[in-house]
Amino acid sequence: MTTWAETYNDYRRWLNGQGIIFSFTGYLSEDMLTTLGSALKKRMALSETDANVAKRVFSVFVEQVQNIIRYSADRLASAEPPVELSGGMVTVGFDGHRFFVVCGNVVDAARAEPLRERLIHLASLDKEQLKAYYREKLREPAEADSQGASIGLIEIARRSSEPIEYDIVWLGTARNRAFFCIKAFI
Amino acid sequence: MEKVSIAPTDRSPLVEFDFSKGCFRLEGESYPEDSASFFAPLLKDMRTFLESDDARPVSFNLAMTYFNSSSAKALMNMFQMLEDAAGLGRAVVVNWHYHPDDDTMEEFGEDFGLDFENAEFRMCPTVDA
Repeated sequence: MTTWAETYNDYRRWLNGQGIIFSFTGYLSEDMLTTLGSALKKRMALSETDANVAKRVFSVFVEQVQNIIRYSADRLASAEPPVELSGGMVTVGFDGHRFFVVCGNVVDAARAEPLRERLIHLASLDKEQLKAYYREKLREPAEADSQGASIGLIEIARRSSEPIEYDIVWLGTARNRAFFCIKAFI
Repeated sequence: MEKVSIAPTDRSPLVEFDFSKGCFRLEGESYPEDSASFFAPLLKDMRTFLESDDARPVSFNLAMTYFNSSSAKALMNMFQMLEDAAGLGRAVVVNWHYHPDDDTMEEFGEDFGLDFENAEFRMCPTVDA
C-alpha cells in the first residue's frame, strides 16, 4: 500500500523530473507575486542564467501571474479586512534547453473564446509584427473591462521564443466555465 | 509646485520630479500592484506643470531596468504629454539610460523614441565604472 508520504514523494519526483523550479496551486495575490518573483530571480541568478534570458522569464512570469490575479473567475474576497484572492496555478521550469512558464485558471465560457482568438492572432505574428502591435496597443485608450490584458499577452508573446501554447478544459455538464491554460517558452 | 520624491521599492521605481528645475527622474523596476494608482498622481502633476505658464525646459531622465505592460502604458502616457508640450514650443529632452547589455531596455528605448518628433529623445547607454 502506498503511504501518503509516498504519494507526495511521487508528486515531488514527478515535478523534479519535469524540471519544475516551483509550482504553486491555490489562491494568488499581489504579495505572492512579489515573493515568488523574488525567489525566481534568486534561483536564476544562482544558476547563472544569462541576464537577458532571466529578464524575459521574469517578465513572462509577472504578466502571467497578473493575468490570473485580474481575470480568474475563481475568486475569494472580503471587504473588511480588504482581501482579494484569485484561484489559479503557476509553474516555472527549465527543460534542459528552455525555460517555460505555465499558468492556468478558471474563466467564464464567454471569456474563453475571445482569449483563444487573441492567442491565435498573436501566434500568427512575427517578432517585428508583435513589436508594432504592442506599440499600437500602448497608444490606444484601455479597452473596457480588459485592464490591459491584451498588452500583457503581447508582452508574453514578445519575450517568448516560440508561439504561446494554450489549451482549454471545459468544466461541468453545462460547460459554462473552462480551465484555460497557457504555456510560454523562453 | 511641490517637489515629488518617492523612494524605490521592490516593485516601484525611484521617482523625483523637481518642477522648479524642470528635472524629472524615474529609475529602477516598475510592476506596482496597481500601476494606475501609482502613476495617476504623477501624470496629473506632470500635466499641471506642462500646462502652467512656467515655460522652463524639461529634462526627463529614465533609467529603468524592468517594467511590466501596465507601467509601459503609463510611460507612454507621460511621453505623449511631453511630446505634446514640445509641439507647443516647450524645450523637452528625454534621456533613456540603459545598460548596453540589456537588450529589452534598449529595444524599448528605440520603440519609445519613434514617437518623438518635437521633443528630443536620446539613447544613453551607461558605461560600467
